[in-house]
Parts: sequence; C-alpha cells; structure tokens
Amino acid sequence: MFAFIVRRLALSIPTLFGVLVVVFLLLYVAPGDPVQEMVGERADAETIARLRKELKLDEPLIKQFTHYTSGVLRGDFGNSYITQRPIIQDIRERFPKTLILAGSAMLLASVLGITIGVLSARNPGGWFDRLGLGLAYLGISFPVYWVGLILILVFAVMLRWLPPSGYGGIEYLILPAFALGSRSIAFLARVTRSAMLDVLNSDYVRTARAKGLVERVVVVRHALRNALIPIITVLGLDFGYYLTGSILTETIFSWPGIGRYVVNAITRRDLPAIQGSVLFLSVVFVMVNLITDLAYAKADPRVAYS
Amino acid sequence: MRRHLLLLVPAILACGGGDGGSAPTRNTIIDSRDTYDPRSMDPALSTDVPTGRAVAYLFDGLTRFTPDARVVPGLAKSWDISPDGLTYTFHLRNGVKFHDGRPFSAKNVIATFQRVLDPATKGGRTLPLHPIRGAEDYAAGKATTIAGLSSPNDSTVVITLKEPLAIFPKFLAMPVASIVPENPGSDFGQKPIGTGPWKFVEWRHDDYIKFAKNAEYFDGAPKSDSLMARIIPERSTATAEFESGNVDVLNVNEQESRNWEADPEKQKLLQSASALRFWYVAMNVTRGPLKDVRVRQAINHAVDVPVMLRQVMGGRGSLASGVIPPTLGGADTTRRGYAYDVAKAKQLLAQAGYPNGIDLELWSANTDASPRIAQTIQANLAQAGIRVKLVARDASSMREASRKGETDLALKEWWADYPDAENFLYPLLDSRNKGVGGNVSFWANPQFDRLIDDAHREQDEAKRNSLYTQADLIAFNDAPMLFLFFYKDLYAVQPWIKGFTVPAVFSGQRWTDVTIQK
Repeated sequence: MFAFIVRRLALSIPTLFGVLVVVFLLLYVAPGDPVQEMVGERADAETIARLRKELKLDEPLIKQFTHYTSGVLRGDFGNSYITQRPIIQDIRERFPKTLILAGSAMLLASVLGITIGVLSARNPGGWFDRLGLGLAYLGISFPVYWVGLILILVFAVMLRWLPPSGYGGIEYLILPAFALGSRSIAFLARVTRSAMLDVLNSDYVRTARAKGLVERVVVVRHALRNALIPIITVLGLDFGYYLTGSILTETIFSWPGIGRYVVNAITRRDLPAIQGSVLFLSVVFVMVNLITDLAYAKADPRVAYS
Repeated sequence: MRRHLLLLVPAILACGGGDGGSAPTRNTIIDSRDTYDPRSMDPALSTDVPTGRAVAYLFDGLTRFTPDARVVPGLAKSWDISPDGLTYTFHLRNGVKFHDGRPFSAKNVIATFQRVLDPATKGGRTLPLHPIRGAEDYAAGKATTIAGLSSPNDSTVVITLKEPLAIFPKFLAMPVASIVPENPGSDFGQKPIGTGPWKFVEWRHDDYIKFAKNAEYFDGAPKSDSLMARIIPERSTATAEFESGNVDVLNVNEQESRNWEADPEKQKLLQSASALRFWYVAMNVTRGPLKDVRVRQAINHAVDVPVMLRQVMGGRGSLASGVIPPTLGGADTTRRGYAYDVAKAKQLLAQAGYPNGIDLELWSANTDASPRIAQTIQANLAQAGIRVKLVARDASSMREASRKGETDLALKEWWADYPDAENFLYPLLDSRNKGVGGNVSFWANPQFDRLIDDAHREQDEAKRNSLYTQADLIAFNDAPMLFLFFYKDLYAVQPWIKGFTVPAVFSGQRWTDVTIQK
C-alpha cells in the first residue's frame, strides 16, 4: 500500500510538469496581456513598455519559464501582477471556502443520493422509484445556475428562510451546497439504484435472505457494500470536479471561493495567478484521484494495490 | 445559452418576491454595486471601478468630485493659476490628519506623485500626472525628482505643467492622485491609511469591504457609523439581496428596468441619472471601405439606434449625436443625430462605389449587453447591404486587437474618468491618441487636434465649451464612429435610505450624507 502511494505520487510529477508547460504556453499564445489590463482603456506606449519591463514580460519565454518553475520548486508561486498579493496567500484564503462548499455538496449528495438509490432499488417500478427517476432526470437536466437562482428566489426572497448569498455561518451554506450537489444527488441515485439492483439479484443476497437475516442488514451490510465501487467512482470524479470547477455556484451565491478567483485571474490576464491556481488545482485533482483509488481497496478487499 | 435562461429569472423575481419591507435593524449602509474584487486599496493601483470607489471613501485628493460631477476643493482649500496657465499653486488645508494620526503636509503630495509615477509601483495608471512638467522623465528614470513639482512650505504645493491645461484640477480628483502617508508599507493595498471620510476596517476578498466613519474628517464626518461594500458578481443575486432588504442600493439590470418602472411600488424606489458612459462603434478609418466618409455616414444612417436603445437597453440612455454627453458643457443638445434611413445609406454606399454592399467585421466583448447590441447592428446593417461578420471575444483580447488596428468595427463603451467633454474628445478622437491612447478609429484631423489644443489652453469655461462644440461637430460630420447612445444609470434605493444621489462619475458618491432612517 505504502509503495503504491509513493509510486502514484512520483508518477504525478510528470503530469504536473506537463500542466505547467501547457498552461504557460497557452497563456503565451492567447491574445490579451496583463499590462493592457493594468493600464485600462487609455494609456501610452512608454508606460506599457516600462510595465512590461518591470514585470519581466519582455524577457524570452524560456527565461520566464525557468524563472517561474524554479520559484514553484522553492514553493514560491510569485505575486499577482494585478493585485500584487502573493498567490499562495490568495489560494490559502479561498481554497478552504471552496472545500467547505464542495464537501457539503458531496455530503448532501451522498446521503440523499444513496438513500434515494437504495430505496428505489428495493422496489423497482414502485411509486418511490418512479418519483426518484423523475427527480433525477430534472436534477441532471437543470443547469446549476438556474437551480441556484430558483433556490434563491424561493427560499431567500419569498420564504425568507435563508440569506440569498454571501459567506458566513451554516445558513449561508445550505442553498449553494444544495445547488452544487443537485446534479450529484440525481446521478448518485441512479448509479446506486442500478448497482443495487445487480447486487440484490445475486445469489449471496438470496442466501442471506434465506438464512433469515433482517432486510435492513441484507440491504446495508451485504448489498450496499458490494455496490459501493461505482458509487465511489462517481463521488471521486464529482468531488474533484467540484473542488476545481464550482465557478457558477460561487458566482451566483457570491461565495468567495477559488473558482471565482481563477475566472477573475483569467479575465485580467493575471498570469502568475492563473498558473499558480491551475497548478494547485491539478495537485488537488491528483490527490482526489489517489484517495478514490485507495477507497476502492477499502471498500472491496479484492482490490489490492502493491 | 446562459443568458437565455437567466432572462426568465429576473422576470420571476420582478413579479414574485417580497417587498423591501420595513427599515432594517442594522446601522451599516450596504452597497451592492461592486461585481468583482477590487484590485487593491492602494490609490496608485486604482485602475478599476471597485478600487476607485473604495479609494474615494478612504482617501482625498487635492480636489474631489461631487456626486453631480462638480470639482471642489479637497486637501487643497484653494488654488491660484498663473496668467500663462502653466503654474498652479495649491494652498493646503491645515490640521488634516491621516487615520493613524500622522499629520498631512505638502511633502506627502510630492512623495505620493513620485510613487504613482515610479514604474516599480506597477500601477499602470500614470496618465493623470503626465501633464506635470518632468513627470514622464521621472517615470522613465531620467530624473530623480519631478521637475514641475515643489513645496515651498508645508502647506503649499506648486505644480508647473509642461503646457497649459485648464482642466488640470479635474485630473487631481481622480482616485489615482489621492494622497497617501509617508512610507506606505508593502501591504498598504491591504491595510490602507488615508485622510478620507471613512476608515478601513476589514476586507474579505470576493466577499465584502467594511469601513467605519472617520469622526475627525475635515469636511464633516459621515452621518452614518459604518459602510459596507459587498461584492456580488451576479446581478440577479444583487436583485434578490435588494428584494430581501439586505442591501441598500442596487444598480438595476437593463433587462429588468421595464419591470421596475412598470410596478408602481418599485417605481418609487428608482433614481436615475445620466452616466458619463458612451456606447459607440469605432470605425477604423484606415481600413478598406471605411476610408471613405460616405461609407461611415451610411453606417450611421443604417442603424436604428432609438429602437436598439428601447429594445436592448430598456430605454436606458439618450441618443448620441457626437461624443459629448448632454450633461457636460460643450454638448450641442440641438444637434440631431444621423436619421435612420436605409435608402440614404444605400445611396451613400453606391456613391462611394459600393453598389453591391461591403463586408466588414464587427468586434465586440462577449459580456453584458455587448453581444445583443452587436447582433442588432449586424441585422440593421444587413438591410443596407453591409454584410457584417460578428467577432465576440473577451474584453481583453478585443481591446488588444482594436488597439493594434486589426478591427474594422469595434463596439466600445467609454467610462469617463473626469467630468469634462475633453475626456471624450481627446482620448477617443485626437490623432495623438491613436491605438493605446484610446483612439481606435485611428482617425486624424488636424483641425480637430488644433481645437483640442486651444481648449486645453483656454481658461474661460464658456469659450472652452464652444471649442469643444466645434471639435465635436467636425467629428460628427466625418463620422469616425457609429454614434450610439449615452448610458443612463438606474438605481433602486431602499425607502429607508436618505441623502443618496446617483453619482455622475463612478467615484463621485462618498456616502457622507447618507443615513438609514428608522
């Protein structure tokens, strides 16, 4: 197991280096430039030239790249061109907020999604199953920003139960977590249902029932445990996606997370901020994938890593 | 795709939803206008709107803007101008203190201006100080001091300009020229210290900024104790916050304006004012058929701007017949714009030698109202035989392309930095500002340039305005742009808010007279 983790981490280094190179090159060929963004609509050529020099943007690409990479290796992501704040500090401020949102969305999704899936599978074709199926289709089809705005309208503006947006206590978390998790709830419910149906029809479940186990134990201990692999796959993928891409949810709910930070950095062509956050998010993605793989082994003893 | 669905929501919000209700128990005024995190609180870095607003709360310049765009004394209580218009002597207020207790004096002014111009500050917005003699040499590292800047004593600053510029006091009211204390540290942008009516309390990035009143403010302390600027990126969300009574002032969405105006209850909350924002399409006069003035006039005749203004912008603006907003001196409010006349447009095209029409590219940003305005123009021009290919890019790419002269037509919106016709005429149309300077029509007219020079020198406001009017007429006739409209701000203000007026310049409202009435 330990050797497996070490090997996987070692293998992620070339991946991350690849990310670094690609992001660097992409930003270099993309139109737009941070200096133009800094000077605004009205400027003069001399000021632009001086700023380019000050930011070392006039140096050859390879020199810029080695300079940046050596900084990253020393743990220094540099300072933002636009705000002049250290990138690391910006990420440290925002990522935990994204983590809270993504974590809550996933928690909500796993509790609700798996419950709905299990209950649907117990009586396929029944009223609950059909209701669950209908809701799942809606959940998968509605885009998150639409769900978000409807949630705000109903629960904040009309009912006044929760604040419309912002960051703070748990009351601020409920709506965005639900909006973000809605797709996963639906998806998990479907995946859990089909995995459970497979398992519930297998011989060992029939045996378990035959030997007189109560239904709850059959479903939870014998069936669900064996249906976990596809569920973990979905959870892992979605969680990685939420940690890196909850931009729309963060925008609609004015949630000060990393997604908005990246979008702002891109619109302002803030090169160090874009590079730093993309690299950081790649590391997060690699870690989530690794944890997912480890979770497989935990869930299913037949999966062994060495 | 995203916008289509979003359109549904404001409609629901407008007809459903709660009323603002009774006055809130909070004592903090809450603003909802900022849509993204400010760049910094450091005046030297104030190159965007949220930063400019915050800087105006925290700091003072030698002069400042009022909400109705007049320029009044700030840290300078008065100033004298030499007969040749070159030397300005500013008499500073005595006894002004920074928020940390340090006294303000003339040497702060000199250090501030040097800091703004120093490339190591990496601000970007140095232009407002360039009229000072020696400022550009200092910025280029050719001089260790700014030649035209001195302080004979602690309460006097003498500024010598490189050439006369009668409107120079307006430049000093811009946020970037706000005065900072000595030796601002490296985290000054995060923990700003100014002389302004509000003191900095807390900044949660992408969330909010809090300010507390400066009880010792020299021009009278704010009437409220605290102020919060929330950062709300999605305008529908800001509307929901307003409907819930959580924010006090809302910048109403264009698509929602009709709903607000139609509802008798909500209509009472509305305040509008002409903004110093100009929508236009720059026509690059150095490219293909656009070299011909008749083609440019044809384009002006071929677009039905009144209908566009009504349908796309919710009537939020006034028609442009020139580049000077109607509220500014120099605007010729009697001048009629190019009438919508497709037959005339076709005729002009034929006269220019294009009876079979022409092909052009229209660049626009892919945000807010821009794509819809661009599509409207495309449809209108097609009627006159002008085939337009739309190129929608992010604002940064588009700006770069138009500055390089790679765009035929570029849909632009210009926000004034200071309330003066010069801020529209000079950057957008003077030949010295081609490209990065703001003139992306690449238009050049010596007579126009001369009038601008004369206006820069003219101390008499009435005479200056008449020069502006003449220059504007030349531009109007030669049509280096498609003149669209001047934007109108529409704000919703909660009934419990007293003393608020919509500012003409974005940094013109400092909330000092605003209170929450319980």
